[in-house]
Amino acid sequence: MASIARCLRAARPSALSAFKTPVSRVCPARAFSVTSSNALRKYTKEHEWIDLSADLKTGVIGISEYAAKELGDVVFVELPEEGKKVAAGDAIGAVESVKSAADINAPIACKITGINLLLEEKPGTINQVPEDDSHGGGWIAKVSVTEEGVKDLEKLMDPQAYAEFTATEGEH
Amino acid sequence: QVYTSPSRNPYLNLAIEQYLLRNCAKSSTILFLYVNRPCVVIGRNQNPWMEVNLDLLRCGIPSPTASSKHVPVDLVRRRSGGGTVFHDLGNVNWSVICPSASFDFDRNRHAEMVSRALRRLGVADARVNDRHDIVVGPSEKETYKVSGSAYKLITGRALHHGTLLLSSPHLPVVSSLLRSPAEGYMQSKGVRSVRSPIRNVDLGNEEFIDAVIGEFGKMYEGGTGVVDVDAETAGEATWIAEEMETIDSADWRFGQTPQFTFSTHPTEEDPRPRPPLP
Repeated sequence: MASIARCLRAARPSALSAFKTPVSRVCPARAFSVTSSNALRKYTKEHEWIDLSADLKTGVIGISEYAAKELGDVVFVELPEEGKKVAAGDAIGAVESVKSAADINAPIACKITGINLLLEEKPGTINQVPEDDSHGGGWIAKVSVTEEGVKDLEKLMDPQAYAEFTATEGEH
Repeated sequence: QVYTSPSRNPYLNLAIEQYLLRNCAKSSTILFLYVNRPCVVIGRNQNPWMEVNLDLLRCGIPSPTASSKHVPVDLVRRRSGGGTVFHDLGNVNWSVICPSASFDFDRNRHAEMVSRALRRLGVADARVNDRHDIVVGPSEKETYKVSGSAYKLITGRALHHGTLLLSSPHLPVVSSLLRSPAEGYMQSKGVRSVRSPIRNVDLGNEEFIDAVIGEFGKMYEGGTGVVDVDAETAGEATWIAEEMETIDSADWRFGQTPQFTFSTHPTEEDPRPRPPLP
């Protein structure tokens, strides 16, 4: 939504005042929708997250802010192939930061339906907005979820549990 | 647990390293040491046409003993990240595999271990810099790189490996080998190398290997001794043979290069002036 507003602004500056109010109204609405998808967000011990749609049929996968911080500046992202079917724990690409190449694993069984090509142009997006699943965010892949995948969800952590998990990991 | 490889085959050694990474006990910490015949090793996401003078590579490099003869040089793409390095018989590669939780992560931990080994052998000014390289040199302004590091992280495990220039006879030719004439015409999404002046530490392979094993033993007690990998049976093990075939294929070596553009004249996306064509 915000990006569409940006395009319109560039094309018709005279209409800026007309759009100004709608833009500021759109942003809070966007924030609400992000919050509701957080309720269906799960994390893995390996610091990947998955956001699920309400019907549990589709999802978006990325790495957590904790992981992005640990890796440091991301210089390259190997995106998975579209159409690839994976089981939980299978590699779906990798992230290279200053010298480390780290595998990204699928949190649940799923099929890759889309990849974030923005990361090919701007791998640093992962560092800026790693947990953002909107257009312009640092998400890695969009997936369709199988029945097996829904079962895999039970093994994952909710945001609260994940926050506790990362707090204790830091003590090593 | 410590392993060494008697083989000089870079594909076999890298395959053994990956095997150790993916198959050893999740809580174990492993040291693997190996030496390769002359080769140029590029990082996982690098562009060989931009990083290496492939023409020079194909010709081979002058033999240190008989300058009219040429020694063949392999081009290898490893699975860990980072930049391009040169390996030969005067360079020892060290590799530490450990649980990734303990990788939370002091990227310098094992580089420091190797540094200590060097200092024990009399290289008093060996230290780790902020790029996790091991350098020597009289001052901050005058440093020479003797080792570069790279890392690979998988579920629960972390690999940190590095080179160590001990007595390479080919140093003078390395800089021309790692400079590509095509560089000025290309723009790449891949990872670029960071250049540093290099130098040999002037130690023997054996004494270095022993010193590193010593430091490793101090850090991780309770080892079961050093195992020299049986190169023949290793090469025949299915997993390792398949891995060797993968990394020795043109598809992996060249085909895994990230997107790049090559243009002999300036373009909109890349308006830099081009070097004159040969």
